Amino acid sequence: MPMNPLPVTDADVNAYVDGQLAPARAPAVEEAIARDPALAARVAELRRQNAALHDAFDTWLGEAPPPRLLAATARDPARGRWPRWLGASVAAAASLVVGLGLGWYGRDAMLQRDGTPTSFTRQAALVHALYANDKNRPVEIWAAEEQRLVRWLSRRLGFQVRAPDLNSLGFALVGGRLVAGNENPTALFVYENQENQRLTLQVRKPTSPQHETAFRYAIEDGVGVYYWLEENCTYVLSGNLDRAQLLAIGRVVYGQLATLDVSTPK
Amino acid sequence: MSSSPEDPPLPQPDLLAALPRLRRYARVLTGDATRADDLVQEALARAWEKRRLWAAGSDLRAWLFTVMHNVFVNQRALARHEKQHVSLDSEGEGSEAWQIPVRPMQYARVELMELMQHVGRLPTEQREVLLLAVVEELRYEEIAAVLGIPVGTVMSRLSRAREKLRAAFADGAGSSPLKVVK
Repeated sequence: MPMNPLPVTDADVNAYVDGQLAPARAPAVEEAIARDPALAARVAELRRQNAALHDAFDTWLGEAPPPRLLAATARDPARGRWPRWLGASVAAAASLVVGLGLGWYGRDAMLQRDGTPTSFTRQAALVHALYANDKNRPVEIWAAEEQRLVRWLSRRLGFQVRAPDLNSLGFALVGGRLVAGNENPTALFVYENQENQRLTLQVRKPTSPQHETAFRYAIEDGVGVYYWLEENCTYVLSGNLDRAQLLAIGRVVYGQLATLDVSTPK
Repeated sequence: MSSSPEDPPLPQPDLLAALPRLRRYARVLTGDATRADDLVQEALARAWEKRRLWAAGSDLRAWLFTVMHNVFVNQRALARHEKQHVSLDSEGEGSEAWQIPVRPMQYARVELMELMQHVGRLPTEQREVLLLAVVEELRYEEIAAVLGIPVGTVMSRLSRAREKLRAAFADGAGSSPLKVVK
């Protein structure tokens, strides 16, 4: 290995802990760290500082954005009006967040903008897009605390929910959160595979009891949505997967849940 | 150059996904949660207006950061012009903005609160570089593009910010200020 005569600088150390050091420079820096305990201590300290900053700042990501900002993601001022589908989707997103923070204030007005009620599948796809795309904090409680997660969601939904085990399909549970659905609170479970593809399962009590189990599939803005309604529960599986993959996963989820004793207070 | 109605819309799912990060960046810039949301709203309006300038397929988050940074700088220049004595930098010390709302993952809450107080005392210019480099994990070149400054300036601001945080902790809690509490 050729010797690199340049001394290790402050900029080298910063780039090193940030994973941005040029590959050509890495051997010289690593060698210097191995040789110099003071430098090694400094690197360790900066790494700790990085981790702590991440931890602290990431807590903010879990805060629900206010409705006015959700609306601002859709407004197209050049047109001076709300595009039809955007209006509907903002209504869905806004109603979710309003539900989280403020109750149902303003929800009906938003849903009826443009006279286009938000479809069930579009809302599901939006919830998926909002949380599954969040790299650092897609969930409120991580899978490491699965029991606590399930206990909490069950309490909030008013019936026993379970996070299906999709490891056999290559999808590990990331965690879950509570989101406000159109009518009833919704439990959201997030799964991820090795390719970092995310899959979400939404579970909630239907507005009115269903008399037959129905399976349906839709695509909303590139997000596949596969859902089925049971007497006491609605399940929605969403992901950027093709139809066949999603249906295969849906069958596994359905099979697992069908064997569980789901007790729902009437 | 404003966009025309024919320009394709910004992808809303991506905007929604970027929203929590925009709010976080705005809070780091303004040091105030309410003003941060005003800034995000203004930045989103500007982004729609200027959407022609976004190269579809490129990193929307970084572009939104750029737009918001410019809105912030313009607002600050205006505020300075209107009120000679305004110093937005020092307002970062307002403690409320630096609260941590939920239980952090790894570190003890009280220690992170202290860390955030120190972050709040950094000049805005150092704070934003710290956020973009350490937390958003943008490359130094990307940060330079977002802020419109040379890469060397990014690195020296980052270095100074880190040194100040280190010194603040060395003065305070003792030898190992940040303990993992797993």
